[in-house]
Amino acid sequence: MQQQTIALTKATLFKYSIFSMIFAAITLLTIILPAEYNIDPTGIGQALGLTVFNKVAAEKTSSVSSQKVTEKTKATVETIETIEIIVPAHSGVEYKFTMAQYQKLSYQWVTSGTALYFDLHGEPEGDTTGYFESYAIATLNTMEGSFTTPFSGVHGWYWKNTADTPVIVQLTVKGDYAKHGLK
Amino acid sequence: MPSRLQQHCLLSLTILFALGLPIEVFAHGVDDNTRAFLQQNTGMQIIPFLYIGAKHMITGYDHLLFLVGVLFFLYRSRDVLLYVSMFTLGHSLTLLFGVIGDIQVNAYLIDAIIGLSVVYKGFDNLGGFKHLFGKSPNAKLAVLIFGLFHGFGLATKLQEFQLAADGLMANLIAFNIGVELGQFTALAFILLMINFWRKHRTFNHFATSTNCLLMSSGFMLMGYQLTGYFIN
Repeated sequence: MQQQTIALTKATLFKYSIFSMIFAAITLLTIILPAEYNIDPTGIGQALGLTVFNKVAAEKTSSVSSQKVTEKTKATVETIETIEIIVPAHSGVEYKFTMAQYQKLSYQWVTSGTALYFDLHGEPEGDTTGYFESYAIATLNTMEGSFTTPFSGVHGWYWKNTADTPVIVQLTVKGDYAKHGLK
Repeated sequence: MPSRLQQHCLLSLTILFALGLPIEVFAHGVDDNTRAFLQQNTGMQIIPFLYIGAKHMITGYDHLLFLVGVLFFLYRSRDVLLYVSMFTLGHSLTLLFGVIGDIQVNAYLIDAIIGLSVVYKGFDNLGGFKHLFGKSPNAKLAVLIFGLFHGFGLATKLQEFQLAADGLMANLIAFNIGVELGQFTALAFILLMINFWRKHRTFNHFATSTNCLLMSSGFMLMGYQLTGYFIN
Protein backbone atom coordinates (compact mmCIF):
# COMPACT_ATOMS: atom_id res chain seq x y z
CA MET A 1 0.00 0.00 0.00
CA GLN A 2 1.44 3.36 -0.97
CA GLN A 3 0.97 6.02 1.68
CA GLN A 4 -1.24 8.88 0.60
CA THR A 5 0.41 12.30 0.70
CA ILE A 6 -0.23 15.86 -0.32
CA ALA A 7 0.92 16.65 -3.85
CA LEU A 8 2.88 19.90 -3.88
CA THR A 9 5.21 21.37 -6.43
CA LYS A 10 8.89 21.28 -5.54
CA ALA A 11 8.93 25.03 -4.98
CA THR A 12 5.96 24.96 -2.60
CA LEU A 13 7.34 22.00 -0.68
CA PHE A 14 10.63 23.85 -0.31
CA LYS A 15 8.83 26.99 0.85
CA TYR A 16 6.80 25.13 3.48
CA SER A 17 9.83 23.23 4.74
CA ILE A 18 11.83 26.42 5.13
CA PHE A 19 8.88 28.14 6.81
CA SER A 20 8.52 25.32 9.36
CA MET A 21 12.22 25.53 10.21
CA ILE A 22 12.29 29.30 10.52
CA PHE A 23 9.13 29.32 12.61
CA ALA A 24 10.58 26.64 14.91
CA ALA A 25 13.86 28.54 15.22
CA ILE A 26 12.14 31.81 16.09
CA THR A 27 9.89 30.15 18.67
CA LEU A 28 12.81 28.31 20.22
CA LEU A 29 15.02 31.39 20.45
CA THR A 30 12.38 33.80 21.71
CA ILE A 31 10.08 31.63 23.84
CA ILE A 32 11.08 28.05 24.58
CA LEU A 33 14.80 28.37 25.36
CA PRO A 34 14.40 31.51 27.54
CA ALA A 35 11.59 29.89 29.54
CA GLU A 36 13.09 26.43 29.85
CA TYR A 37 16.81 27.04 30.15
CA ASN A 38 17.24 30.78 30.66
CA ILE A 39 19.06 30.94 27.32
CA ASP A 40 17.95 34.22 25.83
CA PRO A 41 20.10 35.32 22.87
CA THR A 42 17.57 37.86 21.60
CA GLY A 43 16.49 39.39 24.91
CA ILE A 44 12.87 38.91 23.85
CA GLY A 45 12.32 36.20 26.45
CA GLN A 46 13.37 38.64 29.16
CA ALA A 47 11.11 41.33 27.70
CA LEU A 48 8.18 38.92 27.69
CA GLY A 49 8.90 37.95 31.28
CA LEU A 50 9.58 34.33 30.43
CA THR A 51 12.86 34.02 32.28
CA VAL A 52 11.18 34.17 35.71
CA PHE A 53 11.04 30.38 36.01
CA ASN A 54 14.80 30.22 36.18
CA LYS A 55 15.04 32.98 38.71
CA VAL A 56 13.10 30.73 41.07
CA ALA A 57 15.43 27.87 40.31
CA ALA A 58 18.39 30.12 40.93
CA GLU A 59 17.18 30.65 44.50
CA LYS A 60 16.26 34.29 44.00
CA THR A 61 13.18 35.86 45.47
CA SER A 62 10.47 36.21 42.88
CA SER A 63 7.06 37.74 43.28
CA VAL A 64 5.66 35.50 40.57
CA SER A 65 6.58 32.27 42.30
CA SER A 66 4.92 33.31 45.56
CA GLN A 67 7.82 31.64 47.28
CA LYS A 68 9.71 33.88 49.65
CA VAL A 69 13.06 33.05 51.09
CA THR A 70 14.38 35.08 53.96
CA GLU A 71 18.05 34.62 54.40
CA LYS A 72 19.83 36.21 57.29
CA THR A 73 23.52 35.63 57.10
CA LYS A 74 25.51 33.15 55.16
CA ALA A 75 26.05 30.21 57.45
CA THR A 76 29.59 29.73 58.56
CA VAL A 77 30.20 27.57 61.60
CA GLU A 78 27.52 27.07 64.22
CA THR A 79 25.27 29.93 63.27
CA ILE A 80 21.58 29.43 63.58
CA GLU A 81 19.57 30.35 60.55
CA THR A 82 15.84 30.72 60.14
CA ILE A 83 14.32 30.33 56.70
CA GLU A 84 10.74 30.90 55.70
CA ILE A 85 9.45 28.80 52.82
CA ILE A 86 6.04 29.18 51.25
CA VAL A 87 4.54 26.03 49.83
CA PRO A 88 1.82 27.13 47.36
CA ALA A 89 -1.59 25.45 47.36
CA HIS A 90 -1.67 22.09 45.58
CA SER A 91 2.03 21.91 44.92
CA GLY A 92 5.35 20.72 46.22
CA VAL A 93 8.53 22.57 47.10
CA GLU A 94 12.07 21.26 47.49
CA TYR A 95 14.46 23.04 49.81
CA LYS A 96 18.00 21.72 49.86
CA PHE A 97 21.32 22.26 51.62
CA THR A 98 24.60 21.60 49.87
CA MET A 99 26.76 19.58 52.25
CA ALA A 100 29.93 17.49 52.22
CA GLN A 101 30.04 13.88 53.42
CA TYR A 102 29.63 13.10 57.16
CA GLN A 103 28.44 16.60 58.06
CA LYS A 104 25.68 17.19 60.53
CA LEU A 105 22.60 19.36 60.27
CA SER A 106 20.29 20.03 63.21
CA TYR A 107 16.87 21.29 62.28
CA GLN A 108 13.50 22.24 63.58
CA TRP A 109 10.55 23.21 61.40
CA VAL A 110 6.97 24.15 61.96
CA THR A 111 4.16 24.94 59.51
CA SER A 112 1.54 27.63 59.84
CA GLY A 113 -0.88 24.93 61.03
CA THR A 114 -1.55 22.42 58.27
CA ALA A 115 0.26 19.10 58.31
CA LEU A 116 2.37 18.53 55.18
CA TYR A 117 3.56 15.34 53.54
CA PHE A 118 7.35 15.52 53.47
CA ASP A 119 10.33 13.52 52.35
CA LEU A 120 13.67 14.43 53.94
CA HIS A 121 16.32 13.05 51.61
CA GLY A 122 19.74 13.49 50.05
CA GLU A 123 20.93 13.36 46.45
CA PRO A 124 24.59 12.50 45.72
CA GLU A 125 26.72 15.13 44.04
CA GLY A 126 27.08 14.73 40.27
CA ASP A 127 24.42 12.04 40.09
CA THR A 128 22.35 12.05 36.90
CA THR A 129 20.21 8.96 37.45
CA GLY A 130 17.82 10.69 39.86
CA TYR A 131 18.92 8.49 42.78
CA PHE A 132 18.27 9.72 46.30
CA GLU A 133 18.16 8.36 49.82
CA SER A 134 15.29 9.20 52.17
CA TYR A 135 15.97 9.90 55.85
CA ALA A 136 12.38 10.50 56.91
CA ILE A 137 8.96 10.40 55.25
CA ALA A 138 5.82 11.42 57.12
CA THR A 139 2.92 13.86 57.22
CA LEU A 140 3.40 16.28 60.10
CA ASN A 141 3.08 19.95 60.99
CA THR A 142 6.32 20.13 62.95
CA MET A 143 9.51 18.14 63.37
CA GLU A 144 12.78 18.45 65.17
CA GLY A 145 15.93 16.39 64.72
CA SER A 146 19.26 16.07 62.97
CA PHE A 147 20.96 14.00 60.33
CA THR A 148 24.50 13.20 59.25
CA THR A 149 25.06 13.11 55.51
CA PRO A 150 25.97 9.66 54.12
CA PHE A 151 27.47 11.23 50.98
CA SER A 152 28.31 14.64 49.64
CA GLY A 153 25.54 16.35 47.68
CA VAL A 154 22.29 18.20 48.36
CA HIS A 155 20.17 17.26 51.35
CA GLY A 156 16.83 18.61 52.42
CA TRP A 157 13.09 18.46 52.28
CA TYR A 158 10.36 17.93 49.77
CA TRP A 159 7.12 19.32 51.20
CA LYS A 160 3.79 18.74 49.54
CA ASN A 161 0.77 20.91 50.18
CA THR A 162 -2.57 19.36 49.19
CA ALA A 163 -4.65 22.13 50.79
CA ASP A 164 -6.38 24.98 48.97
CA THR A 165 -4.28 27.65 50.70
CA PRO A 166 -0.51 28.22 50.79
CA VAL A 167 1.35 26.93 53.85
CA ILE A 168 4.34 28.67 55.39
CA VAL A 169 7.12 26.49 56.75
CA GLN A 170 9.48 28.09 59.24
CA LEU A 171 12.74 26.18 59.20
CA THR A 172 15.55 26.73 61.69
CA VAL A 173 18.86 25.04 61.02
CA LYS A 174 22.32 24.75 62.47
CA GLY A 175 25.17 22.85 60.85
CA ASP A 176 27.90 22.64 58.26
CA TYR A 177 26.52 23.49 54.86
CA ALA A 178 27.86 25.55 52.00
CA LYS A 179 24.66 27.00 50.59
CA HIS A 180 20.95 26.38 50.54
CA GLY A 181 17.90 27.24 48.51
CA LEU A 182 14.82 26.12 46.63
CA LYS A 183 15.44 23.43 44.13
CA MET B 1 -0.36 34.38 0.86
CA PRO B 2 -0.06 36.81 3.77
CA SER B 3 -3.46 35.76 5.10
CA ARG B 4 -2.38 32.13 4.91
CA LEU B 5 0.73 33.06 6.85
CA GLN B 6 -1.36 34.86 9.47
CA GLN B 7 -3.45 31.76 9.87
CA HIS B 8 -0.29 29.78 10.44
CA CYS B 9 0.86 32.13 13.13
CA LEU B 10 -2.48 32.13 14.94
CA LEU B 11 -2.70 28.35 14.87
CA SER B 12 0.89 28.07 15.98
CA LEU B 13 0.35 30.33 18.95
CA THR B 14 -2.65 28.30 20.05
CA ILE B 15 -0.63 25.12 19.85
CA LEU B 16 2.22 26.75 21.73
CA PHE B 17 0.00 27.68 24.63
CA ALA B 18 -1.41 24.19 24.67
CA LEU B 19 2.15 22.84 24.66
CA GLY B 20 3.15 25.13 27.50
CA LEU B 21 0.62 23.66 29.91
CA PRO B 22 1.98 20.20 30.64
CA ILE B 23 5.64 21.20 30.76
CA GLU B 24 5.39 22.45 34.33
CA VAL B 25 3.40 19.43 35.46
CA PHE B 26 5.84 16.96 33.99
CA ALA B 27 9.05 18.75 34.87
CA HIS B 28 10.26 15.59 36.61
CA GLY B 29 8.81 13.31 33.95
CA VAL B 30 5.86 12.55 36.22
CA ASP B 31 3.78 14.69 38.55
CA ASP B 32 4.17 14.99 42.34
CA ASN B 33 1.64 12.36 43.34
CA THR B 34 2.98 9.79 40.92
CA ARG B 35 6.49 10.55 42.07
CA ALA B 36 5.58 9.98 45.71
CA PHE B 37 3.86 6.74 44.78
CA LEU B 38 6.72 5.38 42.69
CA GLN B 39 9.25 6.21 45.38
CA GLN B 40 7.37 4.39 48.13
CA ASN B 41 6.03 1.53 46.09
CA THR B 42 6.96 -2.05 46.82
CA GLY B 43 5.39 -5.23 45.57
CA MET B 44 2.89 -5.87 42.84
CA GLN B 45 0.58 -2.97 42.09
CA ILE B 46 -1.25 -3.77 38.88
CA ILE B 47 -3.91 -1.08 38.75
CA PRO B 48 -1.73 1.90 39.75
CA PHE B 49 0.91 0.94 37.16
CA LEU B 50 -1.79 0.47 34.52
CA TYR B 51 -3.00 3.95 35.31
CA ILE B 52 0.46 5.59 35.24
CA GLY B 53 1.14 3.98 31.87
CA ALA B 54 -2.13 5.17 30.41
CA LYS B 55 -1.74 8.66 31.84
CA HIS B 56 1.79 8.93 30.51
CA MET B 57 0.58 8.23 27.00
CA ILE B 58 -2.47 10.51 27.06
CA THR B 59 -0.55 13.49 28.45
CA GLY B 60 2.57 13.05 26.29
CA TYR B 61 2.22 15.76 23.69
CA ASP B 62 5.21 14.61 21.61
CA HIS B 63 3.63 11.23 21.20
CA LEU B 64 0.23 12.72 20.39
CA LEU B 65 1.77 14.90 17.66
CA PHE B 66 3.35 11.83 16.10
CA LEU B 67 -0.01 10.04 16.17
CA VAL B 68 -1.70 12.98 14.46
CA GLY B 69 0.92 12.75 11.72
CA VAL B 70 0.56 8.99 11.31
CA LEU B 71 -3.23 9.06 11.28
CA PHE B 72 -3.59 12.09 9.06
CA PHE B 73 -4.02 10.06 5.89
CA LEU B 74 -5.06 6.75 7.43
CA TYR B 75 -8.73 5.99 7.72
CA ARG B 76 -9.21 2.27 7.04
CA SER B 77 -9.44 0.51 10.40
CA ARG B 78 -7.23 -2.29 9.08
CA ASP B 79 -4.40 0.18 8.41
CA VAL B 80 -4.85 1.94 11.75
CA LEU B 81 -4.69 -1.39 13.57
CA LEU B 82 -1.61 -2.44 11.63
CA TYR B 83 0.29 0.76 12.39
CA VAL B 84 -0.62 0.75 16.05
CA SER B 85 0.50 -2.88 16.34
CA MET B 86 3.88 -2.03 14.83
CA PHE B 87 4.34 0.84 17.26
CA THR B 88 3.25 -1.31 20.21
CA LEU B 89 5.61 -4.10 19.25
CA GLY B 90 8.47 -1.59 19.05
CA HIS B 91 8.04 0.12 22.39
CA SER B 92 7.04 -2.99 24.35
CA LEU B 93 10.31 -4.65 23.33
CA THR B 94 12.54 -1.78 24.40
CA LEU B 95 10.56 -0.93 27.54
CA LEU B 96 10.87 -4.46 28.97
CA PHE B 97 14.37 -5.00 27.64
CA GLY B 98 15.51 -1.57 28.86
CA VAL B 99 14.28 -1.87 32.46
CA ILE B 100 15.24 -5.51 32.93
CA GLY B 101 18.65 -5.07 31.29
CA ASP B 102 19.12 -1.83 33.26
CA ILE B 103 19.89 0.11 30.10
CA GLN B 104 19.98 3.89 30.55
CA VAL B 105 19.66 6.00 27.45
CA ASN B 106 19.87 9.77 27.74
CA ALA B 107 16.27 11.02 28.00
CA TYR B 108 17.06 14.22 26.11
CA LEU B 109 18.42 12.31 23.13
CA ILE B 110 15.44 9.96 23.09
CA ASP B 111 13.03 12.89 23.24
CA ALA B 112 14.95 14.62 20.44
CA ILE B 113 14.53 11.49 18.31
CA ILE B 114 10.80 11.51 19.07
CA GLY B 115 10.83 15.15 17.89
CA LEU B 116 12.57 13.96 14.73
CA SER B 117 9.80 11.41 14.21
CA VAL B 118 7.27 14.24 14.20
CA VAL B 119 9.37 16.13 11.61
CA TYR B 120 9.66 12.97 9.52
CA LYS B 121 5.92 12.34 9.52
CA GLY B 122 5.04 15.96 8.71
CA PHE B 123 7.51 16.01 5.83
CA ASP B 124 6.28 12.63 4.61
CA ASN B 125 2.66 13.81 4.63
CA LEU B 126 3.66 16.85 2.61
CA GLY B 127 5.00 14.46 -0.02
CA GLY B 128 8.58 15.45 0.70
CA PHE B 129 10.07 11.98 0.40
CA LYS B 130 8.26 11.37 -2.87
CA HIS B 131 9.94 14.43 -4.28
CA LEU B 132 13.36 13.51 -2.92
CA PHE B 133 13.44 9.76 -3.55
CA GLY B 134 10.46 9.15 -5.81
CA LYS B 135 8.57 7.32 -3.04
CA SER B 136 7.79 7.40 0.68
CA PRO B 137 9.99 5.28 2.96
CA ASN B 138 8.40 2.13 4.34
CA ALA B 139 5.98 3.70 6.81
CA LYS B 140 5.40 0.52 8.80
CA LEU B 141 9.13 0.08 9.36
CA ALA B 142 9.49 3.73 10.36
CA VAL B 143 6.70 3.40 12.93
CA LEU B 144 8.34 0.26 14.32
CA ILE B 145 11.71 2.01 14.65
CA PHE B 146 10.26 5.07 16.35
CA GLY B 147 8.32 2.70 18.61
CA LEU B 148 11.64 1.14 19.68
CA PHE B 149 13.01 4.56 20.61
CA HIS B 150 9.88 5.53 22.46
CA GLY B 151 10.16 2.36 24.58
CA PHE B 152 13.70 3.32 25.59
CA GLY B 153 12.38 6.71 26.64
CA LEU B 154 9.75 5.08 28.86
CA ALA B 155 12.32 2.66 30.28
CA THR B 156 14.70 5.49 31.16
CA LYS B 157 11.98 7.48 32.91
CA LEU B 158 10.84 4.47 34.94
CA GLN B 159 14.37 3.61 36.02
CA GLU B 160 14.83 7.05 37.55
CA PHE B 161 12.62 5.84 40.38
CA GLN B 162 14.68 2.85 41.47
CA LEU B 163 11.67 0.58 41.27
CA ALA B 164 11.59 -2.19 43.85
CA ALA B 165 12.61 -5.58 42.44
CA ASP B 166 9.67 -7.10 44.28
CA GLY B 167 6.87 -7.46 41.74
CA LEU B 168 8.87 -5.59 39.07
CA MET B 169 7.96 -7.83 36.15
CA ALA B 170 4.23 -7.72 36.84
CA ASN B 171 4.38 -3.96 37.39
CA LEU B 172 6.23 -3.45 34.12
CA ILE B 173 3.73 -5.50 32.17
CA ALA B 174 0.90 -3.57 33.85
CA PHE B 175 2.62 -0.30 32.90
CA ASN B 176 3.02 -1.47 29.32
CA ILE B 177 -0.64 -2.52 29.06
CA GLY B 178 -1.53 0.87 30.55
CA VAL B 179 0.51 2.52 27.78
CA GLU B 180 -1.55 0.53 25.27
CA LEU B 181 -4.85 1.52 26.86
CA GLY B 182 -3.78 5.17 26.92
CA GLN B 183 -2.71 4.90 23.33
CA PHE B 184 -6.04 3.46 22.23
CA THR B 185 -7.90 6.19 24.08
CA ALA B 186 -5.78 8.93 22.52
CA LEU B 187 -6.04 7.22 19.14
CA ALA B 188 -9.82 7.02 19.33
CA PHE B 189 -10.11 10.75 19.99
CA ILE B 190 -7.61 11.78 17.33
CA LEU B 191 -9.16 9.43 14.78
CA LEU B 192 -12.64 10.71 15.55
CA MET B 193 -11.57 14.31 15.10
CA ILE B 194 -9.57 13.71 11.93
CA ASN B 195 -12.29 11.57 10.34
CA PHE B 196 -14.89 14.17 11.16
CA TRP B 197 -12.68 16.91 9.77
CA ARG B 198 -11.88 14.87 6.64
CA LYS B 199 -15.52 15.21 5.50
CA HIS B 200 -15.24 18.98 5.35
CA ARG B 201 -13.76 21.09 2.60
CA THR B 202 -11.41 22.70 5.11
CA PHE B 203 -9.53 19.40 5.53
CA ASN B 204 -7.88 19.66 2.13
CA HIS B 205 -7.56 23.38 2.49
CA PHE B 206 -5.61 23.12 5.75
CA ALA B 207 -3.88 19.78 5.13
CA THR B 208 -0.73 21.52 3.98
CA SER B 209 -0.56 24.07 6.77
CA THR B 210 -1.35 21.45 9.44
CA ASN B 211 1.49 19.22 8.32
CA CYS B 212 3.79 22.19 7.96
CA LEU B 213 3.03 23.11 11.57
CA LEU B 214 3.48 19.52 12.63
CA MET B 215 6.93 19.59 11.12
CA SER B 216 7.65 22.89 12.82
CA SER B 217 6.57 21.50 16.21
CA GLY B 218 8.89 18.56 15.61
CA PHE B 219 11.78 20.94 15.00
CA MET B 220 10.89 22.79 18.21
CA LEU B 221 10.89 19.56 20.21
CA MET B 222 14.26 18.64 18.72
CA GLY B 223 15.76 22.05 19.48
CA TYR B 224 14.35 22.02 23.00
CA GLN B 225 15.64 18.54 23.82
CA LEU B 226 19.02 18.89 22.10
CA THR B 227 19.67 22.14 23.97
CA GLY B 228 18.81 20.31 27.17
CA TYR B 229 21.25 17.57 26.24
CA PHE B 230 24.10 19.97 25.59
CA ILE B 231 23.69 22.15 28.67
CA ASN B 232 23.15 19.33 31.18
